[in-house]
Order: sequence, then C-alpha cells, then structure tokens
Amino acid sequence: MKTLVLFVYLLQAFISAHCKVNQDVIDANIVNSKVERRLDIATHLVKTWTAITVENRGPSAVRSYLFVVDPSLQEHLSFISAVAKDHKDEKLLVSETKVSGHNDKLFFRITLRSPLESGKTVTLEVEAVYSHVLKPYPSAITQAEKQFVVLETNLYFYSPYPTTSQMTTVITASSNVESYTKTKPVSQSDTSINYGPFEDKGPFSEATLRIHEENNSPFMTVTNLERLIEISHWGNIAVEEHIDIRHTGAVLKGPFSRFDYQRQQDGYSSVKQFKTSLPASARDVYYRDEIGNISTSNLREMDESVDVELRPRFPLFGGWKTDYILGYNVPSYEYLYNKGDHYALKMRFIDHIYDDMVVDKMRLKIILPEGSKDIELKVPFEVQRKPDEVHYTYLDTLGRPVVVLHKENLVEQHIQDFELHYTFQRWRLLQEPLMIVGTFYLLFLVVIIYVRLDFSITKDEAKESRMRVSTLVDEVQSAHDRRSALYQSYDDAVNKYKSSKDMTAFITSRKKIDADHKLLTQQIHNLQAQLKTESSEAAEK
Amino acid sequence: MKKIQGTWGLQWLMRMSPDKQDTLLKMVILTLAAILSFSTRLFSVLRFESVIHEFDPYFNYRTTRFLAEEGFYNFHNWFDDRAWYPLGRIIGGTIYPGLMVTSALIYHVMNFLHLTIDVRNVCVFLAPLFSSFTTIVTFYFTKELKDASAGLVAASMLAIVPGYISRSVAGSYDNEGIAIFCMLLTYTLWIKAVKTGSIFWASFVLFSILLHGECRYLVSSWGGYVFLINLIPLHVLMLMITGRFSHRIYVAYSTVYCLGTILSMQISFVGFQPVQSSEHMAALGVFGLCQIHAFVDFLRSKMSTEHFNILFRSLVLLVGSVVFAAAAVATALGKIAPWTGRFYSLLDPSYAKNNIPIIASVSEHQPTTWSSFYFDLQLLMFLFPVGLYYCFTKLTDANIFIIMYGVTSIYFAGVMVRLMLVLAPVMCVLGGIGMSAVLTTYMKNLDNPMKKEKKSTKKIESNYPLKNEVDCHLCNPTNDSFPVVLHLPLHLGHLRSLLVPSIVLSARGGDGSRIIFDDFREAYYWLRHNTPEDAKVMSWWDYGYQITAMANRTILVDNNTWNNTHISRVGQAMASTEEKAYEIMRELDVNYVLVIFGGLTGYSSDDINKFLWMVRIGGSTDRGSHIKEWDYYTPQGEFRVDKEGSPVLLNCLMYKMCYYRFGSVYTEGGKPTGYDRVRNTEIGNKDFELDVLEEAYTTEHWLVRIYKVKDLDNRGA
Repeated sequence: MKTLVLFVYLLQAFISAHCKVNQDVIDANIVNSKVERRLDIATHLVKTWTAITVENRGPSAVRSYLFVVDPSLQEHLSFISAVAKDHKDEKLLVSETKVSGHNDKLFFRITLRSPLESGKTVTLEVEAVYSHVLKPYPSAITQAEKQFVVLETNLYFYSPYPTTSQMTTVITASSNVESYTKTKPVSQSDTSINYGPFEDKGPFSEATLRIHEENNSPFMTVTNLERLIEISHWGNIAVEEHIDIRHTGAVLKGPFSRFDYQRQQDGYSSVKQFKTSLPASARDVYYRDEIGNISTSNLREMDESVDVELRPRFPLFGGWKTDYILGYNVPSYEYLYNKGDHYALKMRFIDHIYDDMVVDKMRLKIILPEGSKDIELKVPFEVQRKPDEVHYTYLDTLGRPVVVLHKENLVEQHIQDFELHYTFQRWRLLQEPLMIVGTFYLLFLVVIIYVRLDFSITKDEAKESRMRVSTLVDEVQSAHDRRSALYQSYDDAVNKYKSSKDMTAFITSRKKIDADHKLLTQQIHNLQAQLKTESSEAAEK
Repeated sequence: MKKIQGTWGLQWLMRMSPDKQDTLLKMVILTLAAILSFSTRLFSVLRFESVIHEFDPYFNYRTTRFLAEEGFYNFHNWFDDRAWYPLGRIIGGTIYPGLMVTSALIYHVMNFLHLTIDVRNVCVFLAPLFSSFTTIVTFYFTKELKDASAGLVAASMLAIVPGYISRSVAGSYDNEGIAIFCMLLTYTLWIKAVKTGSIFWASFVLFSILLHGECRYLVSSWGGYVFLINLIPLHVLMLMITGRFSHRIYVAYSTVYCLGTILSMQISFVGFQPVQSSEHMAALGVFGLCQIHAFVDFLRSKMSTEHFNILFRSLVLLVGSVVFAAAAVATALGKIAPWTGRFYSLLDPSYAKNNIPIIASVSEHQPTTWSSFYFDLQLLMFLFPVGLYYCFTKLTDANIFIIMYGVTSIYFAGVMVRLMLVLAPVMCVLGGIGMSAVLTTYMKNLDNPMKKEKKSTKKIESNYPLKNEVDCHLCNPTNDSFPVVLHLPLHLGHLRSLLVPSIVLSARGGDGSRIIFDDFREAYYWLRHNTPEDAKVMSWWDYGYQITAMANRTILVDNNTWNNTHISRVGQAMASTEEKAYEIMRELDVNYVLVIFGGLTGYSSDDINKFLWMVRIGGSTDRGSHIKEWDYYTPQGEFRVDKEGSPVLLNCLMYKMCYYRFGSVYTEGGKPTGYDRVRNTEIGNKDFELDVLEEAYTTEHWLVRIYKVKDLDNRGA
C-alpha cells in the first residue's frame, strides 16, 4: 500500500515536472500590507504599475508570491514583469500558474530573489500592460467631435491575499473627465484621480471603477504583422515588415470633409503620421504597399536610430484601416556571430513601429541561407513555433529553411532580442556564383563548338573558294611586306657601304638581297596566278 | 594599313577575316541597339518606380495576375463580377489572351528557375523587352528588303524613334507593345516566304500569326489594325496587277491564308469572324483571286490564244456576278457583319465624330496634327521619301510590299493618332534604307579631303564638291553644320514628358523641389480598405480599369467600352440634377461615386473638362433623350462654370460633386474663394449642400473626390 502511494507521488512529480503544469496554492500567511497602484490611461493602452509591500506573517519562509490579473483585464494582458524595489535592474522570474479552485483566473507566480523570512517584508513592483481595454463611448463620432473612452475595472487591488492598506491613482489623458466613480475617499487634480487609502480588504475583493474621459490619442492597432528576416552570408540582413493597421477608436460617423480637415485641423483622434525607429545601421529603407511606392515619408538619421516619419496614404479615422510594407537592410556583422561553422543570429523579435504600439498578431519568419542545419532557437518570452517552411529565391536548388514564429498581443515592452543558432558550411557560399559561372562556361563552350564545326551536309563551294582567296590574299600581303622590308635593307646596305667603303661586303649583301627579292617576286607572281585560277573557278560557280 | 596599326583594337579587328569582321560589327551594333531600346524605355522606372501606367494596362495587369495565380483554365472560364455591374464580363471569352499568356509564361519560367520576380515586374518590363526584340526583327526585315547595312541603320533608328517609345515605355503594359514585334515578325517571314516561295517559311508566318493572335484580331476591337490584316492580301493583289504574280506567291499566300484563318479561329473570342466580318473579306477575296489567277495561267499555257480569250471573258462575267450576288445575299442575311463604326472612322475621319460620340471622346482616336508627325518621327519624316525613292529605283516583290505598307500607314496615321505606332516601324525601315543608300553612295568621297592636299593634281570628279558636301552634312560631326545622323538622339529630350507614369503627377514647387501628387493611388487605396467588399463605385469609364485593379471594387463601366447604353446611363446620372441622378443611382445600386477634380491643382484632364462628352454620350440613347448638349452651354454657346454658365450645368450632379465646398477654398493669392485653376474663373454656384450624397473621401490635393450615396430616408422621418 505504502509503495503504491509512493509510486503515485513519484508519478505526480514526474508528470508535473514534464508537463510544465505549474500548480500553486495560496499561502494564507501572506498579507499585502501596503499597495500603491497606478493606472495610466493616457494612451490607448492601460499601463498598470503596482508597488506591493508583501509581509510574511507565517512561521516559515516564503519563496514566491502569487499575482492574479484582474478579471476585467484578464484577456487583455499583453505584458507583465516584476522587480523588487531595492534591486530594480534585476527582473524577477514571472511565470504563469494555476491555483486549484480558481481555474477561471489568471495567476502569475513571482519568484522572489531570496526567500522571505517569517515576519519580514519585501516591496515588489509589478508592471503590466493591457491592450484594447478602453472602449470608445460614444462608439461613433463625427469628424469635428472629440473622442471619449470608458475604463471599467476594479477599484481595489485584486489579490489572492488580504490587503491592509491600498491607494490607486488613475492618470487620465486630459483634465476633461466626463464622469468617474466617486467612492470615497477620492480626489481629482489636473490629470489624475486619486482613490484611497482603503483599509483592510479581503482576498479577491471587487468594486466597480468607471472612468469616462476624453482621450484623443490615436487608437492605432497593428492587426497583423509579418516580419521577414532574410540572412545573407554575403554581409547583409534584409528585414521586411508587412503591417496592417487599423484605427480602433471611435468610428467616424458621417462625412469626411477634406476642407474642414485642412482648414480647421480637426479630426482630433485621427492618425496623420507616426514615427518608426529603425536600427541605426538601417539602409535602403523602402515604404510601399500593394499598388506601389508611398511617397509621403521622411527619413531622419539619428545617432542611435534611423527615424522614419511615415504618413499613410490617407489619414486614418476611427474604423479606417490600411496596410503597408516597410523594409530595410542592415549589415550582418552587427547581428550575426560565428565560431567556425556555427552561427548565431541575435536580433529583435519585434521592432519599434510607433510609440505605445499594439500588435494583435505577429508572425516572424527567419529565412536562413541555403543549407543551414541544426537550427536552435532561444526566445525571451513564450512564442509559438510553427513548422519550418522552405523558401526558394534566386538560384536556389534545395531551398532555404525558414523558421516561423507566431505570437499574439504584443506591445513595446516586447522589443527584446531572440537568438537563433545554426550551422552553415562556408564553402556553400560559393555554390551560387559557381553555378552561374558554370552555366555561362557551358553556354560559351556550346557556342564555340557550334561556330567552329561545320554541321552542313553539303559543301558550299563558293564559300570554300572565298576562304581560299582570302588566305591567298593574306599570303600576297605578307610577301609584299617582306619585299618592301628588303628595300629598307638595301638602303641600309648602301649607307653602310658609303661609310665603310667595303665593296665586297656590299656586293655580297646586295646579291643576297637581290636573290631574296627575286624569290619573293616569283612567289607573288605564283600567288597571283593561283588567285586568277581561283577567281575564274569561283566565277563559274 | 600602316596607319591603322597604331591602335591595338583595330589591329586586332583587322587581323580577322572580313567575314568575321562583318559578323562582329553586326553583332555589336545590333546588341547595342537592342540594349539602347531597352534602356531608353526605363526612364520612368528610374525616376519614379516600377509601376504600371495609364488605364488599359491596369486591366491587362489584373488579368495577367489572375492568369499567373489561377492557371489557364480558370482564366478561360473567368466571369468577372467586378466590372460592368450588374452585367459582369466574361473575361476569358472577350479578350485576346496573347499578352497575358506571354507574361504569365515568362513569370512561370523565371520562377521555375528560381529567379524570383513578381508578376508586376514582368508586366512592367515586358514592353521594353519586346521593343528590343523588335529592334532585332527590324534588322532582319530590312535586310530582306535591301541589305544588312540598311538593316542596321533601321534597327538603330527603331530603338529610339519617339513614336514607338511613347507606346512601349516600361510600365505601359499594353497589346501594342508586343503587337508591333509580332507584326514585324509576320512581315519578315512573309517577305521571306514570297522571296523563296517555300512552304517552310510560309508556315513560319503562321506561327507568328498565332503568336500575335491578338495583334491580328485586335483589329475587331479597335479597328486600328484593320489595314494590317489586309496588307498582305493587298500586297498580293498589287503583285497580280503589276503582273508579278508567280508560283512562289501563290504557294505562300494560299498556305498563309488557309492555315492562318483556321488557327486564328481557335481563339474563342475570334470565332467565325475571319470568314464573316467584312473587314476580313479582302483576305478571302484575294485568296479566291489567287486561285483564279493560277487557274487562268494554267489554262493559258494549255490553250491557243483565241479560245482562251473567249473563255476568259465569259468566266470573268460569270464569276463576277456570282460573287457579287453572294456578297449581297450574305450581307442581307447578316452573315457578313456590317461595316463597323470604327472602320468607317478610319476611312472618313469625321464619321465617328458625327455618329458615335464614345469613339470620338477618346483622345487617341483624334486625327493627328502635323506637329505630332514631326515630334514622333523627327528626322525620319525626311528620310522616308528618300527611302521610297530608293525602293522605286529597284522594284522587287519585297519592295512593293514595303512601299504599300509605308503609303497606307501614313494615311491611316493621319486619321488616328493611335496609328502613329504602326507608322513608326515602317518609317524606320524606309528611313534606314534611304540613309544607308545615301551613305553608300557618298561615303566614298569622305576620305578625299585629306588626300587632296597631298595629291592636289588629281582630277576631281565633276560633281565631287556636291557629293562631299552631302556627306559632310550627313555624318561629319566636326563640320559646322549639324550632323544629321545625330539629329534623332538629340531630340529625345522631348520624350521626357512621355516617360512620367500618368498615375503619379509631379510638379515643381516654389523652391524648385519636386512635388508629387499621388492622389489617384491615395483614393484607390482608401476605397480598397475602407469600403465594403461588395461596394459598387460609379465613375466615368476612364477610371474603370484602375479602380478594379487598384481598389478591387465593383464598377459600373470601364475602358472596355462594349456597352454604349450602360455608359450612357452613367453619363445621364452625371449630367442630371441630384433627384434624377439619385433615381439612376438607386437603379444601378451605386454605393460610391468617384470624380476627378483638377480645380485646386490645375490638373486639366479632369471630369469637368470631359463633361461635355458625358453629356453627349448620355444624350445619345433613348433614355437620355432629355439631355441636350445645348442646355449646358451659355446662350452664346460657351461652356463656362462661372456665374455666366448655364443653370443646368451649375446644378447637375457632376458640377456639384466637383465643386462641393470648393466655394470656400482659397486657391490662389489675390483671387476670390472658389477660383478654379483649370478654367481660370471663379465658380458660379458656390453655396450648396448635397441631399442624396455625402462626401466620403477627398484626397489631399482634391484630385479625387469620393461620395457616398445615402440610403433612402426612413419612412417615418
């Protein structure tokens, strides 16, 4: 019996270790002694920052703290991170977990830097970003109207532990707040609303917080992003991003008047232009879409980045959408490291598109050189890896392996590096140039063979004789040249005789030259005769 | 010989046999000409981007993309519901697929070899590619007519002749670009066939006819090439008249006609046209004549003169009356298509203007002005008669062909601007013949001036000074007078305007920088992304192809103007008052209306300037009979948009859509609000509201304005 229980325990341990199903229990001894919350709704995102002073009232040390996401925000969470207040530069490990009995809630386990001893306190700072929480209200506005949005969430800090004292500050986009929940104590100053302190709230306590504010920040959402990274070992990495954007704020109702838009500069919440920061080494930036180049962009080179000011073809009003392609090249030495045949690519998983960006869906494709093997991926956060693809482009034979990654709901905080390790044999770099060289070599060879060999079955007499004539003419020419050279040497001989007065030498040389001359003249005559016969023959044909 | 030895390159050249030198020079000149003809056409890609131009090419591009993505069978069965709402269009059966098949083939071959290239780039670069092929074909064509040197001159001229460049720049993806290649190829092979009389070459003609199915049968679509199909029969007829008919011609023509007709009938759109429509009758008639002529020749060789004469007369009478009766009966029964309007307009330039407004409304169908002859052909205008002269001095069967081609095409080019394209190649060929003949005659005298000093005693030919003068003028660049040979390239500057893609407009800003008006694409892209997928867009037919290709929305009428009444209906809507127009728009399920308005930027080919055509076409059918052109003029007969303008004009839908809220805009300093920069007046009706439409989008420079058609009012309201 005991062995059976032991076996079950072992099995459970085995399963939990391998299936990565984190299971936690709520430690009843932990108390949030002081919570300070900041909800930033100045943009279209909801950014929360929570400072929690955790107190361990139990007898034993505590290793981790459970953070539960507010049910109203649960499905909007895009990013979460935590640090201890005293060690801000060291990120704590935050991992998703489950708590039995609370299956509908989203728990995160924050592993503390060091176990929290009994009776001690530690202050954690949890930062979280939520997208698509703010709802435009009214949901459709005219061009001249301003955009109002509503935030509905929990007034209290939502926690599995009891909270002794808590305060909440909401930062609004402007001082124009239509209405807000007036649970006392509450105070409103310029762009912030302060709630609290509220004392002694139990675990999972809830109350409505509703804020209706004017928010004209453009509610721009990247609905789909496809990022292609193509690596060339010749020293270049090409990046291309296909971006679908949509204005997810209050929908434009009624006409769009260009006159008012130009004259009164209204359309407060519309997107006129935005700025994308590319890596400082980015070159050959292009901005286009399906129907061609978009001429409205400006490029500015800064020290740390290349800023591209992009203007969509048309201003984006609520509910309008568009898409574009932005591409550039970066030198590979900045991102590609190697050791022998082992290569490592270290690049950003996602890059800056605009400030406070939201990306609903993203697909990252990394095209490796042909023949890359042993691909190994390291990512900074959880992503979904799709099956690898094969991509064919210029002169490929086997195709290039493509790593495909997928992730949803990304924000600026996701701009982090990933690493991709692979092996690639260097000689393969020469494969394609050699192929071209080989092809041309073959082509020329074939032409040479074709030109040199006579493939005709019949004999073309006229052509033959023409060729004979031309060789004869050549011979005549050379004979003639030599003969005229003889005259020169005759001259030389005369001059020599004039100076030396050596009669015998002169006579011998003259004789020799005369003989040569006679020979050549004879030769030319012969050739002429031959030519004559040849031409008469040719004339016959 | 010694002089030349100084330069290494020439020495190396001289060492080769004359044969090789000849080949090398020819190859080099031809290659250079081909490269030149490709590269001169790339200006717009370099200055702007690789993009399709104009209107028709967008349709071709769209269909090519469809063909490349969906395959031939889907293409063949393609019913396009994006155009001609609510009628739709059966694309597969109503186009000549040659162009699309060619580019889809190139696309697939390139991608098969893993040379990644997208369909758009294939389409953009197809015309330059084919024009460099044309250069090579021209060489062979002229070589067949005269000799290789004339061919080289003709080829180099063709590479840069403005009349052809303007139709084949990168991005103008149209039938014309490849049709000229096919046409010249056909003619080359035809000449070859006539010269040799062998079936081998004649069957090659077929191959090329098949290749240019669309060229040959584009005929029926725009009439321009009517004379092209008829040129070969005409040539044969002329040879018969001049007594040059022989077995060679009989063999060549019979083969070409029979096989060519059968093969061209395989294109589903062509169908039975080659034997039914009157435009093709000449070919059939000449075919018949050929048989008779051959038969008569045969009889003559077997009979005595006396018997033959009696037989001949009776036969002529009999056959003539039978043929006439048959033609009359066939026409009466409708078996032979009646002469189409476009054909008449070729013979009589004023015909179309008087009878079919839709034909006359296209600027390409206007008669050519004298200046455009010079701007499109430059020097060739003067070389053409020289070439003709040299052809006449040595008449051959082939020369008769080129003479006929030259003379007929110069007539047709005078009728329609568009046919300038057909004229350009023959101008180059004849110009090449002329130039080369002149050069061979006078070039011998060019060396003389240098020798003259040494051997002053040498007797000079009596007409020597004249010859020398001619030559110096022709080709000596050091001479004071301008070398004529260089004339053509230097005038290419005129072409700059042709090389701007019409989809993007550019202007000079105050500080000299270039301002780009990209409003067309702005509007089309807005339509593509921010209207419902099934929205119907009403616009004048000029923009139909662009809207379907770039905005991917359903349109009512497009550049394939096959249904006159439908276009007329759109014209009526544009020319009516708002209430009337609303009825028409409801009837046609219109959701959006798009107009082009240049009043703010000064873009002159906008819809207000085209408006009279809309009125004319709108009023040309029964349902639009209430629309009278005169109502839109002032009593003095002027077309004005200011206060003096006709009230009918100032209250019609087109006026309102163009000038909605324009009345409060300042366009130019020192001028009142609502000053139209195209018409140069202050508009007459400034303050009005639209009842049945609402402004949906207006582009940055107001070039394109899109309106949404409001729904019917709620009953209760």
